[in-house]
Amino acid sequence: MTARLEGTLEEIGQALRELGVDLKPEEACRIRDRIGRDPTVTELFIFDIMWSEHCSYKSSKRVLQQYLPTEGSGVVLGPGEDAGVVRLATVGEDTYVLVVAHESHNHPSQILPVEGAATGIGGIVRDVYCMGADVIGVMDALRFGDPEGPRSENVKEIVEGVVRGIWEYGNALGVPNVGGDIFFDRDYDENCLVNVIAMGLAREEEIIRSRVPPEAADEPYDLILVGKPTDRSGLGGATMASRILDEERTSDLGAVQLHDPFLKRMLAEATRAVLSHARDAGIKVGFKDLGAGGIACAVSEIVDRGAFGARIDLDEVNVAFADIESFAIACSETQERYCWAVPRGFTETVLRIYNDEYELPHVYRGARAALIGRVTRERDVVMTRGGETVAGLPAPMITEGIAYDREAAPPRRSADGKAGAAGVVPRVDDLKAVCLSLLSLSSICSKHYVYRHYDSEVKGMSALKPGEADACVTVIPGTSVGVATSVDGNPRYSRVDPYWGGVMAVCESVRNIAAVGAVPIALTDCLNFGNPEDPRVFRDFVETVKGIGDAARALSAFGTDEPLPVVSGNVSFYNESSSGAAIPPSPVVACYGVLDDYAVATSLALKQTGSQLLLVGNPGNALAGSALLEVLGLPGTGMPPVADLEAERKAAHAITGTIRSGLALACHDISEGGLFVAVAEMVIGGWGTGRKGASIELDFGGDAAEVELLFSEGGGYVVEVLPERVGEVSSICESHGAKVSRLGRTVEEQVLEVRKRGRTILKIGIDEMRDAWSSALEKLVR
Amino acid sequence: MNPRIGIIQFPGVNCEYETARALESVGMSASILRWNVAPAMIPDFDGFVLPGGFSYEDRVRAGAVAASDDVMETLMAAAADGKPILGICNGAQVLIESGLVPGLTGGRIDLALAPNKGMGRDGYYSNWVYVKVGPDPGRSFAAYGLKEGDILPVPIAHSQGRFTSAESGLFDTLEAESQIVLKYCKADGSAPGAFPDDPNGSERSAAAICNASGNVVAMMPHPERSTWLRQVPADIDSVWAARRNAGLASRAALEGEGPGAGIFRSMRAYIERKP
Repeated sequence: MTARLEGTLEEIGQALRELGVDLKPEEACRIRDRIGRDPTVTELFIFDIMWSEHCSYKSSKRVLQQYLPTEGSGVVLGPGEDAGVVRLATVGEDTYVLVVAHESHNHPSQILPVEGAATGIGGIVRDVYCMGADVIGVMDALRFGDPEGPRSENVKEIVEGVVRGIWEYGNALGVPNVGGDIFFDRDYDENCLVNVIAMGLAREEEIIRSRVPPEAADEPYDLILVGKPTDRSGLGGATMASRILDEERTSDLGAVQLHDPFLKRMLAEATRAVLSHARDAGIKVGFKDLGAGGIACAVSEIVDRGAFGARIDLDEVNVAFADIESFAIACSETQERYCWAVPRGFTETVLRIYNDEYELPHVYRGARAALIGRVTRERDVVMTRGGETVAGLPAPMITEGIAYDREAAPPRRSADGKAGAAGVVPRVDDLKAVCLSLLSLSSICSKHYVYRHYDSEVKGMSALKPGEADACVTVIPGTSVGVATSVDGNPRYSRVDPYWGGVMAVCESVRNIAAVGAVPIALTDCLNFGNPEDPRVFRDFVETVKGIGDAARALSAFGTDEPLPVVSGNVSFYNESSSGAAIPPSPVVACYGVLDDYAVATSLALKQTGSQLLLVGNPGNALAGSALLEVLGLPGTGMPPVADLEAERKAAHAITGTIRSGLALACHDISEGGLFVAVAEMVIGGWGTGRKGASIELDFGGDAAEVELLFSEGGGYVVEVLPERVGEVSSICESHGAKVSRLGRTVEEQVLEVRKRGRTILKIGIDEMRDAWSSALEKLVR
Repeated sequence: MNPRIGIIQFPGVNCEYETARALESVGMSASILRWNVAPAMIPDFDGFVLPGGFSYEDRVRAGAVAASDDVMETLMAAAADGKPILGICNGAQVLIESGLVPGLTGGRIDLALAPNKGMGRDGYYSNWVYVKVGPDPGRSFAAYGLKEGDILPVPIAHSQGRFTSAESGLFDTLEAESQIVLKYCKADGSAPGAFPDDPNGSERSAAAICNASGNVVAMMPHPERSTWLRQVPADIDSVWAARRNAGLASRAALEGEGPGAGIFRSMRAYIERKP
């Protein structure tokens, strides 16, 4: 069926809307001019998806290319395919790699929270499985509206639904949850954020590319589709703009995809068998997951990356119902599907493994592996149905996408940390009350109420679990190697200054890795913003990316001066509601680290009485965007921070060096809520089971106000050390050029005491702090 | 020769690989048997584990579809031969749904694993709990090498783990016959009281129950997730956590045995016992 693009741009726009296509009329005309004829409806759907912001990064890619470091000696595969790949460690003859992918599933989660969050996990793990890796963990960064605000009921429903979607999918798939963070803020009332991260483990030689291998030039290669029967789900994606479909009112329709972790698990096991067979026989294959754009886009990408083309017979696709349209078969986003490119002689084996050995059609209605086409040397992708061509386009034209240069308003401040809001040190009259308020602040309090639903231990690889320490640590079985994972991003900082928000997202995620003694090896990011066509939004986006890039370059890994590579990521624009409410700039950065010997990693809870507490680094006087000002109801004031990345790097290396030497009994980084919250959490314990008190002195800070010393969020670490080992720690810190100060000691009395110049200015019991910290989240969202 | 254990891989289970490593860590060999090839292979093995996960998507009820799978008939024959069968979590649900546990009245299904109670809301609950070894531990293979009153910290992760029964007096019988192998308890071994020490509202605080012969055990907690010391959380109230912290920076210590290893060790000792 051909789409007739005739008349004025307005009329063409109307025709596109009626088809349920989001392309702008100018873009549709560009397509017509390039292929020299009116496109078919299927072709319009293909371009609609491939030229969408989500797939083409048309607004963001030039900015990302300009500012983010993506290369490094450990990078096997940077951004561009389904997931990034970075080397972890070599043990004997095996070089292990970490496969990481990071994406948003914001819009679907706002509309259908359970399905949106679940398919978010489902999509991101597919990106990692299709690289030939086994998924060993998922993380999620969640931003919700204000549960006490005007949309309270809706916000609580979304919280409940998203959490359910995450556990329903992850637990059933059998992939542990290895971290995440949660923020609540009124600016997310109408646009929640669900960012999902998956990481996988493989040996380097096991990595499969999402492309037809070069061997296909010399022997025939088939294309095989495996998984769920194709239905219409996800057509048009989260924009749900397809009016035609709505009007048909049949029960088969649905613009949000449906999740199925059981089938995903079956596919993972069967795929493991196929990969093992291919490896043993030395057969070269290509493997790709199906996401947005379904068969059309996955096939185009897998063949184009190998410089081939394809002929696909849509009649061979296993479909969920008979009267499905060609464009739906070609482009629907039905979940739980993959595409293989295999030599023809291997096709029967692949079909047998999925369909007979693992009995896909028997255990799941309509699921199977199906031979749907072949690889061609001509570079066109041709799809037929009932003998008729429904799409015939050059593969490169489909995959190359488009790019826009968006206008950016002038920066709100220079990037050197000088401009910004005037700094005022706020007055705190009732110090104890403020401290307790901080511990119950939604972004600081215990998240146990949420993560008690998540399975964090399936696979049996965990050494540090969510909440126990600043990062989770996952052990490669049979080796001493640990993988540390953390994700971060504080919208309060971005609201003060998007550049600084980007810098701090990197700094904080790196701090979390350093605080378990791991060496950071890679970053991934998800950049959540409003409408990029608004120059102010685009400026904030550019500033954020600059901040991430600068911090990634400055915070080189321990023992190297290479930048931390950003190996994968995602940009999510248009997080705006029809009422015009937009989210604050919301960068979410994940950091991955490696421990040669996981045994040095320790939880953040204080371990014994009579230890020394040391402060490594300097939290400074950064109160802008701080939790303190949030609690005091003074957002938007406070001394703007100076991003001292040099000091940040030295402190990170010093703490990594200390922990690697086995000297840290406990360690916690200083972030939200400053030094007070850091020490308080060490006293309470990450799981709320702490039984040791602490007494600290603020005399390290000279004449600075106690409010700044206690609550500044400029970074640093608190570390518990045996008294006789303090000298060793000091010399390690000095060798890295990091500042180290004596902060206090652990005590038997179950209190946190803060002294300044010999005078006690604060004394709170553990139980009082624990109550404030552990009960807050349930009170808020229940 | 080391005892050989077959792990039954129903569609949708997801704990088979770490369970295999845990079995191997105490000196047994473990093979993962796909559900549709398992029946023919069962005679070759000395014991079996039904691992955790979501067999057949938990359709109908957790464990219900797998309980009627062909493989169960062969497993019942193996059970009748006295071979030990351990069902962990979803595996426990399969054993209950098949009537193998408690196995008092032929193949009748006398017990159920009902949705958790106590958390105050429905859904999956995942956390570390303490369990205590019941009286006469030698009567079941799972506690064969343990002592009555031993306290083991282990993780649970389930939505439907509440042992219950419609048969009045059944739990009195199970108590009297020492078939309640493990019970939830507080850190000091005393009765658990309310949630969270009692994680699911199980009758008699039961965490694991065996059949009359002691060779089939349905266990809701996950011993394979506490088989190595490194898996034990650093900050729980237990001698095992203290041992873990004392092992800081020593991989040899952290790769040492955790509390869950005792269950697998017991299984091995039971298989190797002299008649």
